[in-house]
Amino acid sequence: MKRIFGVALGVLTAIGGFVDIGDLVTNAVVGSRFGLGLAWVVLVGVVGICVYAQMSGRVAAVSGRATFEIIRERLGPRAGLANLAASFLINLLTVTAEIGGVALALQLATSVDPRLWVPVAAFAVWIVIWRVRFELLENVTGLLGLTLIVFAVALFLLSPDWGSLAGQALQPGAPADEAATTYWFFAIALFGAAMTPYEVFFFSSGAIEERWTEDDLAKSRLNVFVGFPLGGILSIAIAGCAAVVLLPASIDVTSLSQVVLPVAEAGGKVALSFAIVGILAATFGAALETTLSSGYTLAQYFGWSWGKFRRPAKAARFHLAMIICVLVAVAILSTGVDPIVITEYSVVFSAVALPLTYLPILIIANDREYMGDQVNGRGMNFIGSVYLVIIIAAAVAAIPLLIVTGAGA
Amino acid sequence: MNPRPQPLGRVLDAHLHILDRQVLDRDGVPVTTADDLELEGIEMGVPIDPEAPPPFVSAILTGPDLATRIFGGRPPVSRRMVIPWRLVTEVGTTIRLGVSGDALDATWVERWVGDHIIGRIPGGRHDPD
Repeated sequence: MKRIFGVALGVLTAIGGFVDIGDLVTNAVVGSRFGLGLAWVVLVGVVGICVYAQMSGRVAAVSGRATFEIIRERLGPRAGLANLAASFLINLLTVTAEIGGVALALQLATSVDPRLWVPVAAFAVWIVIWRVRFELLENVTGLLGLTLIVFAVALFLLSPDWGSLAGQALQPGAPADEAATTYWFFAIALFGAAMTPYEVFFFSSGAIEERWTEDDLAKSRLNVFVGFPLGGILSIAIAGCAAVVLLPASIDVTSLSQVVLPVAEAGGKVALSFAIVGILAATFGAALETTLSSGYTLAQYFGWSWGKFRRPAKAARFHLAMIICVLVAVAILSTGVDPIVITEYSVVFSAVALPLTYLPILIIANDREYMGDQVNGRGMNFIGSVYLVIIIAAAVAAIPLLIVTGAGA
Repeated sequence: MNPRPQPLGRVLDAHLHILDRQVLDRDGVPVTTADDLELEGIEMGVPIDPEAPPPFVSAILTGPDLATRIFGGRPPVSRRMVIPWRLVTEVGTTIRLGVSGDALDATWVERWVGDHIIGRIPGGRHDPD
């Protein structure tokens, strides 16, 4: 029984982390434009985040040191600060997108202007971080997020032409009416949505919050290899729903109501309400994770006391930093900027920032001073190096493609 | 040139093993990161007397020393946040101190924020439920 609960961290990072506002929006956009033609990117992303999270979870469990402590120690104060600035700002953008996502999900449920929901959502995020135990927070959002399975159910209810869906998935490449640059731009966006750096900050710091030891490594492996593929399947289901309903009708995804449109068409109000609960849980869970991650990265760089297992007054700067981040996100959202647009940019910049945190983890996972005999094996290093190449290629190509395609317009 | 004396104990490279490592107190609570070190027995810009005793690390510096290590310069002595090296009990992947972090002058910012901001918000002094 305890073991079943143990997987919850993985399930949360899968649902609230793998599927967050970034995945919801990007997968629906991609599905409505390319069908399942980019499903392979989700597969690449799932394997990548498994490798990356498994390594950082192992480093955290064996050495007791979280990601940004290691980045600071390896890169020194200057390069570490540059890394912190980039990672922190992109994470802040993601916090903003997730809180905006919570507000949009509440708008779907109530038809009240999302700008009115933003302060409510932000306060809810803060109060949960302030008062709720780490384990409770991850289990509740994780379990509620599972209702997103309704996207997979909806795909079956829509009884699509499976042959043509499989055909799209197995013959990747830009369709005739889309430029190749646009295709690759969305490939990078999807990759960035799947491999968001905050998932790793959260995963490695969460391992320390839950006081993992070397004995918990099996649990960590289970978390990663059960949790993330589950998230990947949901991602593909979201894209599949969009491919079946939105692509033939040439509907562009510009809001959450279009993301859930196929679900409503397939299963009516009941399915729609499941989807709304799922989106709410996933974005709320991700808002918690990203807000915590912003505190984790700052505290670990500067060596402050951090962690939800302490009283807030005993990790004062950590909590103060998170309060400020939430307030900044509210300020950005209150300008009326569309959270969907913020989301689209945040996933692309996530891909840009990925090498900054990936490389130090790969190096430390091979360092015997930290890892003893738990260093990476040959197989892990091989796949880790393959992903290093993919991640760097995506990071280098992201900004030029963003400019050339006009953000995929 | 005299041959370098063979050290008897464990050799620590200040850059590799001390700087930028997490400093934990007696109870494992993070105190700071080792932002810089203070050396005694050596003067900046003064030629080293070959007969002089070797310099030694007298303190871990934090706070403003992080900024000066990144951007250059030296903070005024009055603003230094110093953790005396004699409090250090262990140097590993972290640096352990033999005292409670709350007792150190160098943690005053954390205490100030805790007492004046975070501790005043309802629930700030309670364990999470």
